Amino acid sequence: MVLQRKRLSDGLTVTQKVFVRSRNGGATKIVREHYLRADIPCLSRACKQCVNIVVPNAKNELPTFVLSEQPNKLIDGKRHYVVLDANIVLQAIDLLENPACFGDVIIPQIALDEIRNKSYPIYTRLRTLCRDSGDTKRFIVFHNEFSEETFVEREQGESINDRNDRAIRKTCSWYAQHLKPYGVEAVLVTNDRRNLELAVEEGLLAKSLADYVNLLPNSEDVKDALPNLETYKSRDQDLDARSEFKFPDYYSTARVMGGIKSGVLYQGTVQISEYNFLEGSVSLPNFSKPVLILGQKNLNRAFNADQVVVELLPQSEWKAPSTVALDSEHFDVNDNPEGDEDQPKESDAISDKQRRLLVQDAIRTQKSGRTQPTARVVSIARRSWRQYVGQIAPNSIDMQSGGTQNAFVILMDKCLPKIRIRTRRAKELLNKRIVVVVDSWPDTYKYPLGHFVRELGEVESVEAETEALLLEHDVEYRPFSKKVLECLPAEGDNWTAPESLSDAEAIAKDPLLTKRRDLRDKLICSIDPPGCVDIDDALHAKLLPNGHWEVGVHIADVTHFVKPNTPLDDEGAARSTSVYLVDKRIDMLPMLLGTNLCSLKPYVDRFAFSVLWELDEDANIVNVDFTKSVIKSREAFSYEQAQLRIDDVNKTDELTQGMRALLKLSIKLKQQRLDAGALNLASPEVKVHMDSETSDPSEVEVKKLVATNSLVEEFMLLANQSVARKIYEAFPQTAMLRRHAAPPATNFESLNEMLQLRKGMSISLESSKALAASLDRCIDPADPYFNTLVRIASTRCMMAAQYFYSGAYSYADYRHYGLAVGIYTHFTSPIRRFCDVIAHRQLAAAIGYEPLDLNHRDKNKMEQLCRNMNKRHRNAQFAGRASIEYYVGQVMRNNESEETGYVIRVFHNGVVVLVPKFGVEGLIRLENLTDDEQSAEFKAEEFKLSFKVKGMEKKRDIHVFEKVSVQVRSVLDPVTSKRKAQLILV
Amino acid sequence: MSRLEIYSPEGLRVDGRRWNELRRLECSINTHTSASDGSSYLEQGNNKIITLVNGPQEPKLRSQMSIQKATISVAINITRFSKMERSKTSHRNERRVLEMQTALVRTFEKNVQLHLYPRTQIDIQIHVLQQDGGLMGSLINGITLALIDAGIAMYDYISGVSVGLYDTTPLLDLNSVEESSMSSVTLGVVGKSEKLSLLLVEDKIPLDRMESVLAIGIAGSHRIRELMDRELRKHGRKRLSNVSSNN
Repeated sequence: MVLQRKRLSDGLTVTQKVFVRSRNGGATKIVREHYLRADIPCLSRACKQCVNIVVPNAKNELPTFVLSEQPNKLIDGKRHYVVLDANIVLQAIDLLENPACFGDVIIPQIALDEIRNKSYPIYTRLRTLCRDSGDTKRFIVFHNEFSEETFVEREQGESINDRNDRAIRKTCSWYAQHLKPYGVEAVLVTNDRRNLELAVEEGLLAKSLADYVNLLPNSEDVKDALPNLETYKSRDQDLDARSEFKFPDYYSTARVMGGIKSGVLYQGTVQISEYNFLEGSVSLPNFSKPVLILGQKNLNRAFNADQVVVELLPQSEWKAPSTVALDSEHFDVNDNPEGDEDQPKESDAISDKQRRLLVQDAIRTQKSGRTQPTARVVSIARRSWRQYVGQIAPNSIDMQSGGTQNAFVILMDKCLPKIRIRTRRAKELLNKRIVVVVDSWPDTYKYPLGHFVRELGEVESVEAETEALLLEHDVEYRPFSKKVLECLPAEGDNWTAPESLSDAEAIAKDPLLTKRRDLRDKLICSIDPPGCVDIDDALHAKLLPNGHWEVGVHIADVTHFVKPNTPLDDEGAARSTSVYLVDKRIDMLPMLLGTNLCSLKPYVDRFAFSVLWELDEDANIVNVDFTKSVIKSREAFSYEQAQLRIDDVNKTDELTQGMRALLKLSIKLKQQRLDAGALNLASPEVKVHMDSETSDPSEVEVKKLVATNSLVEEFMLLANQSVARKIYEAFPQTAMLRRHAAPPATNFESLNEMLQLRKGMSISLESSKALAASLDRCIDPADPYFNTLVRIASTRCMMAAQYFYSGAYSYADYRHYGLAVGIYTHFTSPIRRFCDVIAHRQLAAAIGYEPLDLNHRDKNKMEQLCRNMNKRHRNAQFAGRASIEYYVGQVMRNNESEETGYVIRVFHNGVVVLVPKFGVEGLIRLENLTDDEQSAEFKAEEFKLSFKVKGMEKKRDIHVFEKVSVQVRSVLDPVTSKRKAQLILV
Repeated sequence: MSRLEIYSPEGLRVDGRRWNELRRLECSINTHTSASDGSSYLEQGNNKIITLVNGPQEPKLRSQMSIQKATISVAINITRFSKMERSKTSHRNERRVLEMQTALVRTFEKNVQLHLYPRTQIDIQIHVLQQDGGLMGSLINGITLALIDAGIAMYDYISGVSVGLYDTTPLLDLNSVEESSMSSVTLGVVGKSEKLSLLLVEDKIPLDRMESVLAIGIAGSHRIRELMDRELRKHGRKRLSNVSSNN
C-alpha cells in the first residue's frame, strides 16, 4: 500500500503509520499519524546549517549542539562519529559508559525504541548517558523517524526488522553526507551480520563492535571490556571449559504460556539458599511453603532472584530441604557426590492430568510432613542480571601465559555461581576486586559467560571493599550531579531564616512565610547519638495552666528546600535513603541541606515542621496540631549528656524541667505501647569503634541503650502515628504509610520445633501481645543471653515492614505488627529517608500550607515510589551490615580470642555458631570438628550432631541452642579472598 | 511501562509533533446538502466527523418548545468502527455520550443568537466516523462549521482543542495514545478572544500548571479558528463565483 504524504506547512509533512497487531487471536489494523519534519538538527558543532533550523522547546530553550567538531580519531586518523545499532547497546552498555572509548555517539531513534522495548533499565542508562554525558562522552539521540530526510517507508515484503535496519543505515549515510564538508565521518557499529554486510555494500563505513574497538588507538585497554559473545563464534574453541554435560533446554514460549494457563507450570522468583548454592526455593501463591529446587540441573541456570517458570517433579523426587551446607566457591563438580545423573526421563511422560493430581498431592504433603515437593526450572521469565563484584579465582588461570585466557570470577554474593570471562590481564587483576557483567549462559556451558567491566582496587583495601559493597547493594554513591546541586539555595552556607515572619522583603521571596508559626520562644533541644551532624528532630515540653503538657516534636523542614519535580527531588527519590557505613555516610540529599540548612542545629534559627500535642498527665492525646514553623534549638545533646542533665538534681532550669517531663511522659507512652502488644525484638548488632588517629577499627562494642534513647523514640513514634492519621484522612487513597504484616505461622515452625524439643518452650503467634508475652517467658535461668538469642531468632522469622500507599491495602492491613499500632508512617527523618519527604508534602497539603504535587496524588506514581523505597531501604540495611562485617573482620584480625557462642543451626556436615560479642555467625564444618567424618551422626529430628572429638575417642553431641566456647579468628579465604570469621570449637 | 516515549527529552512527541503543534486539520462545509440545512465534514488528525444541522424548525414535541428562544438538541452517533477495535455496543445511551451532548448544548446556547428564532428547535446530529483522541474539541469545531453553513446567527466562532500536561510540559491537541497516558483538559474558545465557553477538566491537573495549559490551549484554538475561517472564506468565494457566473 502506498501511503500518502501530505505537506502541511513549511517543514512539516504528515503520513500514516500502519501496522497490524494481533491480540487474542484477532488481528487489528492500527493507523497512526506520523509527522515528518525538516527541523531535526544533526547536533554537531561542526555543522553550519543546522543552527538555522532549530526551534525552542516549551521552556524556550534551544537544543544544545553536543557532538564535537574535533571528534576522536581512529587508528588511521579519521575523525568520526559513531552510529550505533540497538544490539550494540543491549550487549555492551558498560562499554558505552566507559570513559576510555565511545565519544560522539549517535543513537538513532529507531534503535532507542527497540532498546526500550527489550530492556527498560538499559534504556534508562542510555538516556542518562545522553543527558549527563555533556562534554565528556557526547551522546545524542537522532530522531531519524521524524526527520523528512531519513524516514524510510517499509517496502513490499520487507520485514519490520529489515526495515528498521535500513532506517539505521539511512541515518548513518545521511550523517556521512551531511558532515562530509566538515571532514567528519560516520561509522556504523553493529553486531548484526546482515546489517553489516548490507551497509558495506551500500558503501558505508561499518564495523562490528570487535573490529571497531580494534581500530581505536587505545584498543588494548578497552578490549577486556568487550562482551563475551563466544556463542556467536565458533563453538569448538576451548572445549576444556565446557563439560560433557548439557543443561536441559528451556521450554518454548508457547508451551510455557499454555502450561501456566492450564496450571501445570508456575511462575515465581527463585531464592537461592544462603547455605547451599545448589538449593533454591520458589514461593508460589497456591503452596503454603516454598517449593524446593535441588541440584544444578533442576536449577537450570537460574540466578538468585530471577523470575522463573517451574514444573513439579514426580513424587518420588520430593525431598526435605537439604541439611548440607555448600558454598559455590568450594564446590567442585568432579567430587560432588550429588550427581545429577538420575535426572528422571519419565518426568516428561507424565500427562497434564497426572500433573494436576500431583499438585494436589504436593499441597497435602506440604501440610503433613517434612518432605517437600520439588520442582525444576523450565524457563526463565526475567533475568535479574546486573553488575557483580568478584575476584579472579587464582587457580583458574595460567600464570605463565601472557595472552588472552579464560578465568573464573568468584562473586562476592555466595548464592551465585562463578562467571567465566576472557581477559588478557588475568595476572594483573589477580587479588583485585573487579566488576563483571554476565552476558549469556548457553546450555552447553557449566558456568555463565561474562566480561570484565572495571577494577575497584586491591582486595581488602578499604576503598575497594567499600565500593564493592556499595555496588553489590546497588547503592548510588557517586557525587551529586551539577544539575542537582543547582537546586540548592543560592546563598549556600550563608542561608538564614528571616528575622521576622512579617518582613515584607522576605515574604516577597517566599509568600508561604506568613503561614509559618514562630516558635523561637519555645525551649527546644535535640537529643541524638554523639557526633550526629544531620539532626532531623528536636523536642520541647511546656506545662500548660490546666496541668496538661504541651509537647512539640520539630522535624527539619526538608521540603522547603526540596521542591517536587526538580532534579534534586528526583535524585532523592532515586536514592530514597541515606546509607550508613561504619566509616562513611552516603547521603540521600546534598551535604549542604543534610548537615546545615535542614539540620536543626542549636543556637540558630531553622525552619521546621512541628507536631504539637496537648498531652494529659497519663500521656493521652487531648489535642494535636501541625504547623510549619521556625524554631531555635537551645542545645544539642547526646543521649548520655541528656541523661546526665536529667539526672543532675542541681539543675532546675526550665529546659531541664521540660526534659524531665518528656522522659516521664515517654515512659508512660512506652508502657501504653507495650500493653497494646508492641514487640521488643533483638538483633545481634554491634558498633565498631575507630581509632581516632589512624582511623583503623580498634574495638567492637555491642550497642547499648539508655533511657533517653527511648525518650526520643517514643515521641517520634507518636508523631509518626499522628501524622499518619492526618494524611490518611486527607488522602485516603494515596497517603504514604508504613505497615508491618503479622508473620505467618509457617515462619516460626522450625524455631518452635527447636524450642519445644530443646527447652520445652514455645512461641505463641496468636497476636503480637501473645508473641511478646511468650518471648518474655523464654528464659533460661542459667543463661541470661538465651532470651536475646530467641529474640534474634524470632526477628529473623518476622516479615519485613514495608512502605505502601493507602490505596494498596484495606484499612485492616495498615497495622504495624511490631509497634502494635493501627496506622503508621515515617515522618521524622526527612533528611535521610524519602518516605518522610513525601509524608511532609502530604501533611503540608493536608493543613492547607501548599497544594500537593500530582505525583503524590497518583496511585501509579506512588506505587513506583514505594517499590523503590522498599528496595533501597533493604539494600541500605544490607550494605550497613556488610560494612560492619568487614570492619569486624579487620578488628578480629588483630585480636584472636576465645569467646562464647551459640549454636543456631545444625547441618549434616557442620554447625552454625553465633558469637554475640562480635555479632558474627559462622559455619564450623564437620572436617574441622572431627578427624573421623564417618563416625559423625546427624539426627535431624533432634537437631543434634554427634561426632568424635579431635584426637580423642569420646563422642560429643552438639544440639541447637547449645552454648559453646569457640576460638574466633579472622582468615582470608585463599580462593575467594574474602575475610571471614573462622570459628573453631574448643 | 509504556512502549513509547510520550515526550522525548529532545522535545518530540510520539507522532513527531512538537509540544505546541496542532494535528492536521482539514474541513469542508455544505457536504450533505439534501440531508440537512447545514453540514460539515472535519478531519482533525485521525478524528473524522460529519455534522448535520437541521433547523430552525418546528419542534417535534411541543413540550420542548420555548416561547422566548430556540432550543438546541445534540445527538452524537459514535460509530462502532470508529476505534481501533470494533465495539460491541452502540454508544447511544452511554453516560459519557449523554454528558458530551449536554456539554455541547451548554457550549453553544450562549453563542448562538437563539432569541432570533423563538418557538423553534435546532437539531444537531453528529456522526463520528473515526476517533483518535481529543474528540470533544473536534465536535465543537464540526458544530461551529455546520451551524455557520446552516446560516444560523452566531456571535463568533467557537473552536475547541484538548491540551494535556506531561510532567510539566503542556502538549497541544492530544491523539489517543497521548490522551491515555496523561491528564488533559478540553477548552472551547470564543472567536479571537480569551473567553472560554467550555472548560472540561476531567483529570487532575495541578493548579499551578493550569495557566500554562490554558495559554497554549487558547493559542491553539485561535489557530484552529483561523484554519476554519480560511476554509469558509474559500467556500464563500466559490459560492459567490457560482452565483455570478450563473447570472
